[in-house]
Amino acid sequence: MWFRRLAYRQFLLASRTQYTLARRLTPAGKLAGAALVGAMIFGPNTRLTVSYQFFTLALAMLAVAALLSVRAPRGLETRRRLPRFGTVGEPLTYHVLVRNPGPEARAGLSLLEDLEDPRPDFATFVSTHEPDEARRNWFDRKVAYHRWAWLIEQNRRLEIAEHAVPTVPSRTTVEVRVTATPRRRGRARFLGVSVARPDPLGLVRALRQHDLPDALVILPKRYPLPPLQLPGTRRYQPGGITLASSVGDSEEFLSLREYRPGDPLKRIHWRSWARAGKPIVREYQDEFFVRHGLVLDTFVPAPTPVFEEAVSVSASFAATVHTQDSLLDLMFVGPEAYVFTAGRGVGHVDRMLEVLAEVRPCPDRDFAALHRLVVERHSLLSGLVCVLVAWDDARRALVGHLRALGVPSLVLVVSEDAGLDAELETAGARRLVPGRIAEGLARL
Amino acid sequence: MTPPGLLGAALLFWGWQTGFLAVGVVMAALVEGRHLVRSRWDLSRTDFNRVSDLSAVLLVLIAIYQFVGTDAARAVLAILEWLPLTVLPLVTCQLYSTAGVVDLSIFFWSLRRRANEHPEEPGWPIDLTYPYVALALLSASAANVRTGAFFAGVVALAGWALWSARPRRYPAAVWIATLAVAVALGWAGHVGIAAAQRAMERVAQSWLLNLIRRDTDPFKSSTALGEIGEVKLSPRILLRVESANGTRPPALLREASYNVYNAPTWYAVDAAFISVSPEADGATWKLGPPVPERGRVTVAAYLRRGKGVLPAPSGARQLDNLLVVELAKNPLGSVRVDEGLGLVRYAAHFGDGTADGPPRTLDLVVPRNEQAAVERAAAQLGLAGKTPEQAVIAVRAWFSSHFRYARFLGARPQGVSPLEDFFFRTRAGHCEYFATGTVLLLRAAGIPARYAIGYAVHEWSPLEGRWVVRANDAHAWTLAWVGGAWREIDTTPGEWISAERETASFWTPLGDLWSWATYLFSRWRWSEREDRLAGSIGWLLVPLIALLAWRLYRRRRVATGAARGAAATAPPPRPGDDSAFYLVERRLAQLAFPRAPGESLVRWLARVESARPPAVTTAALPALLALHYRYRFDPAGLGAAELTELDTGAREWVAAHDMGGPDMAPQAHQARGATPPSDSPGQRS
Repeated sequence: MWFRRLAYRQFLLASRTQYTLARRLTPAGKLAGAALVGAMIFGPNTRLTVSYQFFTLALAMLAVAALLSVRAPRGLETRRRLPRFGTVGEPLTYHVLVRNPGPEARAGLSLLEDLEDPRPDFATFVSTHEPDEARRNWFDRKVAYHRWAWLIEQNRRLEIAEHAVPTVPSRTTVEVRVTATPRRRGRARFLGVSVARPDPLGLVRALRQHDLPDALVILPKRYPLPPLQLPGTRRYQPGGITLASSVGDSEEFLSLREYRPGDPLKRIHWRSWARAGKPIVREYQDEFFVRHGLVLDTFVPAPTPVFEEAVSVSASFAATVHTQDSLLDLMFVGPEAYVFTAGRGVGHVDRMLEVLAEVRPCPDRDFAALHRLVVERHSLLSGLVCVLVAWDDARRALVGHLRALGVPSLVLVVSEDAGLDAELETAGARRLVPGRIAEGLARL
Repeated sequence: MTPPGLLGAALLFWGWQTGFLAVGVVMAALVEGRHLVRSRWDLSRTDFNRVSDLSAVLLVLIAIYQFVGTDAARAVLAILEWLPLTVLPLVTCQLYSTAGVVDLSIFFWSLRRRANEHPEEPGWPIDLTYPYVALALLSASAANVRTGAFFAGVVALAGWALWSARPRRYPAAVWIATLAVAVALGWAGHVGIAAAQRAMERVAQSWLLNLIRRDTDPFKSSTALGEIGEVKLSPRILLRVESANGTRPPALLREASYNVYNAPTWYAVDAAFISVSPEADGATWKLGPPVPERGRVTVAAYLRRGKGVLPAPSGARQLDNLLVVELAKNPLGSVRVDEGLGLVRYAAHFGDGTADGPPRTLDLVVPRNEQAAVERAAAQLGLAGKTPEQAVIAVRAWFSSHFRYARFLGARPQGVSPLEDFFFRTRAGHCEYFATGTVLLLRAAGIPARYAIGYAVHEWSPLEGRWVVRANDAHAWTLAWVGGAWREIDTTPGEWISAERETASFWTPLGDLWSWATYLFSRWRWSEREDRLAGSIGWLLVPLIALLAWRLYRRRRVATGAARGAAATAPPPRPGDDSAFYLVERRLAQLAFPRAPGESLVRWLARVESARPPAVTTAALPALLALHYRYRFDPAGLGAAELTELDTGAREWVAAHDMGGPDMAPQAHQARGATPPSDSPGQRS
């Protein structure tokens, strides 16, 4: 453990240095720094080479540039106009407004976004395992640098380059179009924006940070789906679509009847029970809707690429299935079992995508939790889309159970393992290959 | 991408500094030729990987070439010096490719694998040109040209590079002043560093060198006299000896002799080295006045860092074919190379006697603490009153009949010197005992004598067809002044050779084979001047490079550049392209109001107006815009008067808003001639 702690401290320190250097040095400054290190390697013996002359020149340039960059650019105001959503892999444009209240025009500045620190805390570093960590060699497992890099990669949601600010005339606001590339789904938090000014040599930036906290939800990547006849769509709908705003059973009272196992306790009519001496429940007018279930399998130890693809597939269904005249239940298990319903004015697809943007793997619970959740609700559902991340006994059992219950279901297994194909075929399931998901979905 | 000329200049500078100017000129022509060649090649990731592999092969070959037969420090510097050549294929491909950048993955296997597994992921494009300039400068530094030209060149090239990428917010004077300060600091810094190192070296040098020195020291030779346990040397082959027309070479090759013994070390006292001048051919060195030649032997020896003491028969008077820069000898017969190559191969002409200085009183001194033992032994032998010749015979006979050779020695009684113990108790020891004993006994008999070290030549290698000398053939013997000349006297029992042979392990033959291969390579490596690299290794690579170049050349070529490029890419001219209103647009962009992509002129002007910048008056613009729109889109077009109105109006507005500031428009276009962005009244889809 002490070794982990030591390694963690070193990583923290190294990444802090790297981050600071990356922000303070312009590309030319980085090259000068690299040349400095190169000359330092070859130049220690001043008799053998003249690298030391190169070294001192690079050092002097960087030192002068650093000195001239001590004073941060002052007196500018910034404001950010951020959209609510972005999507993984799709460049996102927003605006930062820079106002110059001062009497003089400001030229040659640039903007750097300050995003949330992506470094994991020590507890996460110790407890989380990289997906392929077992395959790494002893040294890599011990030092866990790859784990560190992977964890940072998981937390890095946006990539934003430096953006030049056009000349800001006195008492004027200019708009800087900033292009960001969303890398991972989830909530991307902005801490502030830094205004940067290069030194005359163009090696080092002087930075002034403006606190400008903000956030943006990055939705999972979505794939195009072919026109899909979801299982059970054409079922008879006795309730019609007039009772659009309510879900499931409508509130129209029909009659009283004897209690049957499984009836909700809130339906018990206590006065009738007292009179009759046995449990009596209220029965309401049943309304039937087309109601689809979307089951997402979250039982992976870490957010593997397979899991990310499964989330993307779920998001594709959530975004595509028409919810004007049907309902969609998203079911998954996180810290507890979740059901999120959208459609017919109940919830919005945006919200469902937002939920999917923040789905985390569930490493500590059993697949049975999802099994129970789905089976509990099967009676409400016209059909099911199951997105699974593996194919094993527990999942086989769920699919078998659904078939036995007669719930029409479309089972998709995201897996690299081509050996599963034959078995999936017999089980009536489809395999989607990570990296070629769109292709697989197009064949549905 | 670097400005035109910078890459070429950096390569010329590299060629000039390293002395490969011709290579540098060719390389510079190759990289700068991109401005003349209009074609660009459509190279794929695989192509770049291949070229990267070629660079790696070049690097490995140069590394092997440098590492075999020279020491690591020099090899590293030589590799550094050649780095621009190894990276050149990659840079050339970048410059001549349509991509214009290379992907970082070509340098790393792990990234390559990742790129192959996830081709859809964005790469890590990098531009090699600026790093290549820095590399050329770093490589030029390895040439160690200490005239100040290097610093001046680095300043000029770095200044050029920085100027091309300088921030435009500062006037040129500020930039120049800043650079001047940095250059002055850099100059002062490097002078200071060099001075500091010299000062530090003066303090540490002698101390350190004594600590780590392992080569033969012509001034001092520590013996293992008195050491307990086994004396062991490696069977590594050090020298290769060939004698003229197959005769047996001299049995002993001397490296140095010493005249003062202070147990357990022999010293060369009063034996300063004097430099020897070569003959006119630069490869013949005379060590003493000519005497009738008794034979000639060719010796091949390695020099560490180009320095070392040359083994030669003690009677050597002249060395031939010795390609070194500086040679020195001392009166005790040591010949030292101060500057040479990694391997020397020279012919030593030898005659009778030696070219060493005549005996002096030091050559008769028996150290005080050995005096008693030596006198006792001399008395036993009855050396007093014998002629030098007889004394030598008596000493030889005594050692050969009463002593035996031993590499292993046990503990000796306290208070007894190693030599006394050797003379009277153990009567066994290695060559250093016999040589030291002989020297001191002869001195006791009044015969000047010196202690000599070197190698015994006795092993014929059928593999190589020449005599080889191993590290465990190192030997010590005596030089005695008999009959007016120095004679070699070796009193070590002849069995020492077989005793040393016993130490050979079963893998010695393998080691010999490797040693031979290394020798052959080193001989080829050091046989001529340095500039063969481009020749020999280059020829090996020519077919490989040619094949790759051909394959790359056959890739799809894309014409770029002004002549063909403009015709291929420019959209057809549109009516009104030359409207003066574009001048207004450009000026507004400079005034921090660039038109966003897809923003119509009307909306854009509305935005500018709503911002109400104090420096801009927008009142005249709507009228101008209306004229502009008519000029652009009205099939009837503008009349001559209206056209003049648009033109003068726009120009007047621009003149009124002249800020004189630098051009900040990101994609400003020319009002006439180039392609203006779309400005249709509606929002463009």
